[in-house]
Amino acid sequence: MRSRPLALRVWTAQTNAHRRAFATTVRCRDVTERDSKGNIDVGKLLSQPTWSVASLLPAKDQQPGGPEISSKQLHHLLRLSALPAPKDAAEEAAMLSTLSSQLHFVKDIQQVDTTGVEPLRSLRDETAEGEQEAELGMEAMKEALGMETVRGRYHQRIRRRRRGDGVDGESEEGEKWDPLGTAGKKVGRFFVVEGGKDG
Amino acid sequence: MKTPTARIAPLHLSRTLHSSFHANLRVPRASVVSKWLRSRNLTTAPALAQEAVPLRKHLKDEAKRKKAEAKINGVAKKLKTDPRLEKWELAVGIEIHAELNTECKLFSSGPTEGSDGVANSRVAFFDAALPGTQPQFQVATLLPALRAAIALGCEVQRKSGWDRKHYFHWDQPNGYQITQYYEPFAKNGTLTLSASDGVPTSDLNGADSIGIGIKQIQMEQDTAKTTHHPPSTYHIDLNRAGHPLIEVITLPHIHSPQTAAAVVRKIQAILRSVDACVTGMELGGLRADVNVSIRERGTEGTGSSYSGVSGLGQRTEIKNLSSFKAVEDAIVAERDRQIAVLEAEGVIEGETRGWTLGATETTRLRGKEGEVDYRYMPDADLPPLVVGSDLVDHLRVTMPELPDETVDRVERQYGVTLKDAKTMVDLDDGDRLEFLEETVELVLRRSGDQATDQLRVGKLVGNWILHELGGLLATTETSWATMTITPVEVADVLVNLQNKQITARVAKQLLSTLNDTSTSPRPSVDHLIDEGNLRLRPLSDEGYEVLAMQIMDESPDMVAAVREKGQKGKIMWFVGQMVRRGEEGTVEPENAREVLERLLSD
Repeated sequence: MRSRPLALRVWTAQTNAHRRAFATTVRCRDVTERDSKGNIDVGKLLSQPTWSVASLLPAKDQQPGGPEISSKQLHHLLRLSALPAPKDAAEEAAMLSTLSSQLHFVKDIQQVDTTGVEPLRSLRDETAEGEQEAELGMEAMKEALGMETVRGRYHQRIRRRRRGDGVDGESEEGEKWDPLGTAGKKVGRFFVVEGGKDG
Repeated sequence: MKTPTARIAPLHLSRTLHSSFHANLRVPRASVVSKWLRSRNLTTAPALAQEAVPLRKHLKDEAKRKKAEAKINGVAKKLKTDPRLEKWELAVGIEIHAELNTECKLFSSGPTEGSDGVANSRVAFFDAALPGTQPQFQVATLLPALRAAIALGCEVQRKSGWDRKHYFHWDQPNGYQITQYYEPFAKNGTLTLSASDGVPTSDLNGADSIGIGIKQIQMEQDTAKTTHHPPSTYHIDLNRAGHPLIEVITLPHIHSPQTAAAVVRKIQAILRSVDACVTGMELGGLRADVNVSIRERGTEGTGSSYSGVSGLGQRTEIKNLSSFKAVEDAIVAERDRQIAVLEAEGVIEGETRGWTLGATETTRLRGKEGEVDYRYMPDADLPPLVVGSDLVDHLRVTMPELPDETVDRVERQYGVTLKDAKTMVDLDDGDRLEFLEETVELVLRRSGDQATDQLRVGKLVGNWILHELGGLLATTETSWATMTITPVEVADVLVNLQNKQITARVAKQLLSTLNDTSTSPRPSVDHLIDEGNLRLRPLSDEGYEVLAMQIMDESPDMVAAVREKGQKGKIMWFVGQMVRRGEEGTVEPENAREVLERLLSD
């Protein structure tokens, strides 16, 4: 198949990029500049930004599109996240306005149509082979099953063999470290926490 | 022959006696009390020249009097039933957290046992939530979890997920607990209970057993252990942080506090029998939270529903119950409180409550406004758990016997009573039952060509192992594990007993001797019998009569008691005297009794 001309391919790509889901600004440049041989001046291309995250925030005069946050809700969120409460009214006002700008951004994202799409939890091998590999069957559990014995001849019971029951004493790579080295406050072998109101 | 048991007045009788003792004594009795009254010149009855009756006799007489009274009135001792329960119906759901029996923790290779209980010595980097550490699912923890799910009749899901439950507490180093909120690994099980498990007849509704639905079982992490040092200091031990737990959630099919306690007991027994969770409630390895709601009989409550069970009232949750009694008592207290509120035209709020041992009412911990928002989200660090069906099938096929099956089998095969069978199965981690089965087989084999009935032999062996050996261990303060008696020896003793080569008294003696003997060298039972000249040399009828006449001559008043007053019970005293007087291994109690009855009746 004969490939399409370069210019046409570039133009198509740029036009399709226009239809990005949550872009609110128009592209600054429609066509990349080329010299007579058709090469792109990379230095020039990269010298000017073509997109800014500011496009995701409401314009200066625009009202934030997100829902109104009350002071009570703000304090609830801060408590859930174990963050300190605002010192004074000015700080609280600043927090509220930042929060509503962020919600404007979130609302933009929520405009994307996701019907029938399972939320992505993490990037994993979701092929059938991947699932086969991850499956815990007899093969994967062989070692664990080998750590059990049957106790009794008439009344048979399954028992896990414990350390010191003929099982190797020390685990091969037992992490030998002292957790209390990370303690801010300690008493003997314990971490200490002050549970009082100021604690 | 049964050994005479200690004669102790039954507790409930002495209690009622106690109350009547302090109540007005309507009839001045010749007792220490009347003596006291006399000394205070507080009676108008003529001074009786009588000695104070010994207290023991007084108690027995009082007990007899009360029994006679009750018979006259025809009042049967009935349990006090709360009349309010006719109007109000209880619904309870239970959530049980049980520690899994594994070598290492759920998401790290930190060990779960060892290092002699030194605090903060079994902590992996992830358990201490060091920044940058990642969870890694330890596959060995899947085995006990799957066995628990199969034993409780659940469907194991092929794919399940891990979710984060966020809340800040000093016992949660990560700031979230990894649990299975959206997709648990097992669902839709059942638990069957019957009257012998402790279910009251009102719940059974005429059936033999009831089925409690299990909504789901999920795996999750345990928190660290905190100890409170007043006024406001807490000491944290991270050894337990990250330990695998399973949470078993039942449906609200439970309708009485006794059933609830029975459910918890049954689940603990089942989990122990499949080696999934071996630490019990007393040691803190199993904890229960209960959800309690009530509704008027015949109505739909407030219309709430839970997982398919509808028509329920508003529920409250009682957290952290750590004993079976606490479960029962807390439910009773909460039910009574809810009834009181609803009868006073109040409204039950959905709150979280706590219970302390010895309290009469639950205490409020958190109201609805204090409800924590856990912001559940899938954990991105962990891949989904995929369980192979070949593993599940293998575990199902190799599942050990569940307690119900074992008790049933022991009853059927060995003729042991239900109560004894239950005790036997629970004792010594099942080792005593193993001992019983081995001994029975040995006895049957050594009984040779005599037509031996396994049930009869089983009953005999069962009694000896449970009661006689048990009694011996108790008196010598030996534990079962350190006992030196072997099944072969017990079988030998019992075979000799069966063949009437020795008497029961001698058999007990032999066991005692064997218990005291060190492990090696051990003399054989036959050797012991011959050496001690213990073999039964049955006395002739003449010999019995001579011995009997001897004893009768020595105690004419006892003879008179039997002959004239008709106190047949005194014959056993004579039997005892004959056995004691006769040479060791000669007098058989049954024959002695026959002879005595013959002699004393003419």
